[in-house]
Parts: sequence; structure tokens; C-alpha cells
Amino acid sequence: MRKEVIGPFQLFAMIVLFELGTAVVVPIGLESGHAVWISILLALPGGILLYLVFADLYRQFPDLVISGYTRKILGRWIGWPLSLLYLPVLMYNGSRNLREAGDLLISSTYDRTPIFIINSIMVIAVMYILYKGIEVFSRTAEIYFWLIVIMGLVSNFVVIISGLVHLKNLFPIHPGEWLEALGSAYPSIWIFPYGELVCFTAILPHFSTRNKVKKTGIGAIALSAFLLSFTHAVEMSVLGTDIYSRTTFPMFTTITLVNVANFIQRLDAIVILTLIIGVFFKMSIYCYAAVSIAADLFNVKEPRRLVIPVGVVVLFSSFVSAENYPMHLKDGIAFLKYILPFMCAVIPILLFLVHRFRRRFGLYK
Amino acid sequence: MPKQTKESKTAEMASDKEQSPPILENLEENLKQIQSKLGNSPDLIIRNYESLDHVNHAAAVYINGLIDMERVEDYITHALSLDSLQEKAESVATVLERFSFAKGKALSIGKEKIVEDQNSLLEGLLSGDTMILFQGLTKAISVSTSGGEGRAVTEATTQVNIRGPKDSFTESLGTNLSLVRKRIKNPNLWIETLTIGAVTKTDVSIVHIHGLANEAMLQEFRKKLSEIHVDSILESGYIEQLIEENKYSPFPTIFNTERPDSVAGNLLEGRIALFVDGTPFVLIAPATFFMFFHTVEDYYQRYDVSSLIRILRFMCLLISLFGPAIFVAALNFHQEMIPTPLLINLASQREGVPFPVVIEVLLLEVTFEIIREAGIRMPSPIGQTVSIIGGLVLGQAAVQAGIVSPAMVIVVSLTGISSFATPAFNMALSVRLLRFVITFVSAYMGLYGIAITGLILIAHLCSLRSLGVPYMSPVAPFAAGDQKDIFLRTPLHFMKIRRRLVNLKSSVPGTSAQLRKDNPHEN
Repeated sequence: MRKEVIGPFQLFAMIVLFELGTAVVVPIGLESGHAVWISILLALPGGILLYLVFADLYRQFPDLVISGYTRKILGRWIGWPLSLLYLPVLMYNGSRNLREAGDLLISSTYDRTPIFIINSIMVIAVMYILYKGIEVFSRTAEIYFWLIVIMGLVSNFVVIISGLVHLKNLFPIHPGEWLEALGSAYPSIWIFPYGELVCFTAILPHFSTRNKVKKTGIGAIALSAFLLSFTHAVEMSVLGTDIYSRTTFPMFTTITLVNVANFIQRLDAIVILTLIIGVFFKMSIYCYAAVSIAADLFNVKEPRRLVIPVGVVVLFSSFVSAENYPMHLKDGIAFLKYILPFMCAVIPILLFLVHRFRRRFGLYK
Repeated sequence: MPKQTKESKTAEMASDKEQSPPILENLEENLKQIQSKLGNSPDLIIRNYESLDHVNHAAAVYINGLIDMERVEDYITHALSLDSLQEKAESVATVLERFSFAKGKALSIGKEKIVEDQNSLLEGLLSGDTMILFQGLTKAISVSTSGGEGRAVTEATTQVNIRGPKDSFTESLGTNLSLVRKRIKNPNLWIETLTIGAVTKTDVSIVHIHGLANEAMLQEFRKKLSEIHVDSILESGYIEQLIEENKYSPFPTIFNTERPDSVAGNLLEGRIALFVDGTPFVLIAPATFFMFFHTVEDYYQRYDVSSLIRILRFMCLLISLFGPAIFVAALNFHQEMIPTPLLINLASQREGVPFPVVIEVLLLEVTFEIIREAGIRMPSPIGQTVSIIGGLVLGQAAVQAGIVSPAMVIVVSLTGISSFATPAFNMALSVRLLRFVITFVSAYMGLYGIAITGLILIAHLCSLRSLGVPYMSPVAPFAAGDQKDIFLRTPLHFMKIRRRLVNLKSSVPGTSAQLRKDNPHEN
């Protein structure tokens, strides 16, 4: 079979959609109060550095996914079980996104639809697109990139012209708050959403132009950081610290306040659509990464055959893992604090260092 | 359409070739065999010419109705009347002399060839050739005299335009090819003809501009055509369905048109056209999704108007695909999205309606489809009556009877009219089909269902390919340079560089660069 390839713009669109994914809708970095938008920007350099680690590993092993070069660098006996750890983490993270989308939908409109139905429809769509392959997926991402950009522009524009923005909610920022912002930037925002880019180690082997990998990635990460920061700044300025931290979905609350000339009012649909699209792409990328790592670890020739098992696991863990939404959030905090940093940052940096070390001292056979 | 398995078909064809009997020396016997093979058909005309010495008999054989009578008469009188030959020759002419004389005369007519077996003789007869057989010779002269009745070139009926050429293709392959030749006076316009259909033996012509069309694509196209093994090709639609890459997709991946200017424009963009004898509809491949929303007239009118009209068409696509679905979703699930006064209005309209919204939509949609289908088959004066009675009277009465609400009539008729704004009828049909699917999903899941269906639909569109070209190009994969002729139609002087049929480089770059310089204003 022909190897599937994705171009620079497709990778760009995928990274932006992945980064914005859920992060644009749910509140992030609560510790920093109204300086959350600064935290997002402060975490950006760290995110880029982390991406450069992934990109460097990709350039050393252009045809291998992360589990492949983990085994090369650390040897089979350490590498294999270590890579196996990625599978539950990726699938659980995917299922968390699904849960968040399902809960927003249920709390906004579908109060009488079982979460199982809502989530399974989303999973069916994800399985369909993954079955079609990464090339089709990346093309779809290209189209939705434009859709998200247009919807983002429209909703920000509408929020601003309806006069809801109060800059006093954003400023002033005291020196102590800068420290707080820094504290919430590292590690929590650094890991979510930037660190989650570890999924792209499974997609990069399909990238077509090897020398553009750094430029494309950095551009996409920077753009999504600015978009995220801007959106959260707008949300914060409209809602204020208090409501922002208490509401489940600040963007949703923000947009319901819009009323332009008694005509444009109720743009909730845009937020729901943004969330559906974001979650869809984020979850698909998680599932894709899980599928290709599993295929690599267990020597499955046709990765497509793993799409359905992975999808089913993600679907069930999405509503089995937590009894209710507050518990889901509590799990999330622990997950973000203890597990994700290890998988997203520690292992890749370790691989990077060990690889450098072994190459420097000629320890490869 | 009976479709045989490939193996048995090829075996049969091979045995056909082997068993084909040669032409006999005995003329009488030959003629009898031809007659019996064609079932003593009355339109088979045999004209015997006896020579003066009663030895050198000759016969002209043709099928009435397939030939151009004037040319046949002209040819036969010259080639077979013996006076002209007798004058020159001193003695009685031999068979071979007469044969070569007749063959020489055929030059004045045009194509001529020599056939030596009965099968090719019959094939020639059936495609309108005249056969000359001689007593004592095992070969015959086949002269191309095809003609016969055909429709004159008339105005296009399915793809009408306001400004632009008024001619359209007919059922005759020759006429159709000439209509394109007249528009592209370039030696690089290459035509190759082959025969498809074991029983119908339909002539089809692949047309491309050498140097512009991608050689690899052309190879693949030829390969696909050669893989067709069916009995009959009655319309280009057969071939379209047989060579499509994704046979179960609701979307057409091959474009068809009956306008010569559209074919010429597409050939100049490097596409391949397939003409099929017996139908005015010419296939064009590779086709992309956005091609189905462009018309040739976009290039004839000014750029600003054309661009606006294109945007309008894409809006109509969205309305005709999602219109009823969004209405159903809003009324069933998302009442808060509708401004309160309007919501009260809608609710009061629906007060007396006994059905759920989705049933109401389906009732009206199905009625609309019935009116549409009935109107198409009717002769045009009655067709209008049908649409007036169906549309106005029925709609008004349905509202008054309290079966549907007035707002619903607006939504459904707007949707119906929007679907007519798609220039390509086959694409409009696909959208019509998908509209029902999306309406059902939205009745069940509201906007969420619409969004998910939209995602699946776009993923499906992105997975399609037409002759290797991604269906959604140049939007996905994105090609910035090609955007000027997709949603907008930028002024012609911006379009000097030909659209590259995404990511597929022409295999003969030299020629294409040359051509590009030669005619920069095509598109």
C-alpha cells in the first residue's frame, strides 16, 4: 500500500485544531485568576521547546512512532513496557474529552438524551474518519480549520461589538500575580494543552517535507497560543474572575450574554459547534496515536483493524471512569498533575537526552 | 444489463477471432452467408454488377439507413461501372485490375480499407460502411460511407445560459467532435477512438490536449475503459458508473455536460473528455467537487457579478442540504435559539397542526418531490399546470386545512428552489438525497446530529478521488494559488497560470510550458 503523506499546511491545521480543541471552551489555569491569558502566553516558550524535542526525535527516526524509537533508544526490555504505558493514557485522555463534550451537550440542550447515545454518535464519527486514514483526516482538518477561524472571528467580533468587554476585569496585574501566572503556566498549562502534542509523535512519520517540521509546528503552536490567550482574555473580561472560575464552560456563558440590536442574540450554537469540532479532532488524534502505537507494539500489519477496539474502549471509559462531572474534574486535576507530565514531558525529554548521550559516546551498535 | 464474468468474456472474444471465417471466392455463396448472418434483414441492400463477359461479377453491399446515399451512389457509379475502365483497357479487365481500380476510386470518398474475414466485414457493414465484393477474390473493399439520419445541432436544453454560445452536442459522435475541434484549432487536440460493449459495439472517443493532460491520468483512464466488459453502452452514464472509483458514494466523481464550450474549457484546463456515440452528454474527468458549482457563463460575465453568483450558489447548497434539518432542530431541540417573538409566532402557527415537526417536513418534502417528478416527464405546457396546481393550490390548501404550518411551506419551498440553483443536475440529485438523511438525523439529535453528520460528510468528500485527484481540491489539500477560481471568479488577467490539478505534475513539462506560453488566456 502507498504510504500516506500529509503536507505542511495540513499538519498546521491539525495542530491548531488540536490545541484549541477543548482548551478554548473549558477554563484552564484557574490558579492564576484574571491573569490566565498571560499564563497561556508564558507557557508558550515551554510548549515550543517541548515540541522541538518531539521534532528532533522525529528527525532522528523519521519513520518511527514514539514506541518505535523508545525501543531503539532504551532497548527492548525497557522500551516496550514504557511505550505500553502510552496506550491507557492516550485513550483515557481521549475519553475525558468525549466526556466533557457530552456533558456540555447534556447540560445545554439534550437533558433527556442518555450520555451513552451522545458519546457513541461522536465515537462512530471518529471511527469512520480514522478508518479512512490519516490523509483523509488531515484534509478534513484543513477544511474545519477555516470553519473554526471564521466562527472564532464572528463570535469574538459579536462579543466585542455588543459592549460586554470590561477591561477592568483584566487589569491591573500586580507583580505577585505575575508569579501566580507563572505558577499556573508551569506545569499545568504547559502540559495542557501544549504537552499533549506528544500525540503528534504518531502523526509526524507521515509528514511529507522533513525540513519544514519545526517551522510548521512552531507557527501552529504560536498561532493557537495567541488565539487561546485572546479568547480567554475576552471571556475573562466579560465574566470576571469569579464567574469565570465557577462556570463549567466560560465560553458558553459568555456567548449567551450577547445581544446585538435585539436581532443577533443566542449564538450558543456556535459554541456548541466549536466544542463538537474541537473535541472531534482532539479525540481523533488521541485515538489515532493510540491505534498506531498499539499497532507498532503488537506488530499489527493493518492498523485500521484496531480502530474499532480503541473506539469502543474510549466510548465506555468516557462514562464509566467518573460517576459525575465534579468527580470527573477532580480526576482530571490529579491526572494533569501526576500522570500527564510524566508521559508528555518526562519520557520524551529522557529519550532525547539518552539518545544524545548514546550517540555522543557511540553506544549504538 | 447482463454482465458476464471477465474470464468467460475474454475467452469468447478470443474464440471469435479464431473462428472468423475467411471471405469465399464464390460471390454468390458470400452474399448468401452475409444475408443469413444478418437474418435476411430487409435493410441489407445488395447490388449486383455484372461485367460484359459474364465472368467478373461484383457486388456492393450496404445497410440502408446507416449510409449516406449520395456518397454511395457516387462511389459505385465511378468504381463499378465498367465503361470508364473499359475505355482504357484494351481487353476485358481482370478481377485484380477491377479490384485495384475500385480501390483507387475509393480515395475520392475517404477512408477505405481491405477486409479479409467475414466478421470484420459484418462489423464494417453495421457501422455504415459499403462493402465491395468480387467474384473470385477472397478480400473485399470497405468504404466508409456512414451517414444517415441525425438530429441537427440545437440549443442546449439542460444547461441553458444567457450569454454564450447556443449550440449543444447531438447524438452523433462525429458532429460532437467537430464542435470541439472548431473551438480548439490546435494540432495538440488528440482524439483516440475505441469500441466498448460486446453487443452494441459503441464508439467512444477519448479527447485530450497533448501536453496539457497528465499522461499518467490518461493511462489510468484508458486502463479503466479497457476493463469495461459489458454487453451494452447506451448512454455515457453507463461508462460513468462503470469507471467511477468510489461506486457507493452518493457524489458524482465524473462531470458531464452537453455544452461544447464547457468541454473545450475543461480540455484546456488539462482534463480528459470522453465522447460516447449516441448521446449528447460528454463525460469529463477528473472532476472536483467545486466544478459542479461552476458554469461556463461565470467566465463570460464580468468577474464581480460572477463571483457574487458563485457565493450565492454555495449558500444555496447549504440551504438545500441543511435548511429543513436546521428548522426541525430549532423547533425540536433549540427553541432558545429563536428570538422569543418569532418563537411565539411559530408556536401559534403550529397550534392546530396535529403532527410532529419532522412528519410535517417529510409530508411537504415528499409532496414537493412528487410535483417535481411529475413535472419533469410532462410535456412542457402541462408541466406548468402541474407545478401551479401542485405548488400554489396544494400548498395553500394544506395550510388552510391545518395539515402543515405556513412557516413550513416557506422552509420547504426555499429548500426546493435552492436545489435548482446547483448548475449540475447530478450533484443536485445527490444533495436532494442527503437532505432527507440529514433531516432524519436532526429530528433525532438536533444540531449535534447535524454537526456530526456534517463531519462525516466532509470526511467522506475528502476521501473521494477522481482519476487520482482529490475530490475536494484545491481546498483540501489546500493550494493557495488555485483559490482564485473556486468560491470567487477573479478577473481573467489574474488567471494566466493554469490551475495545477493538485499535486500531480504533468509528465511532459516541456510541452505544457510551451502551450502555457502560447495561450495564456484560457480557462
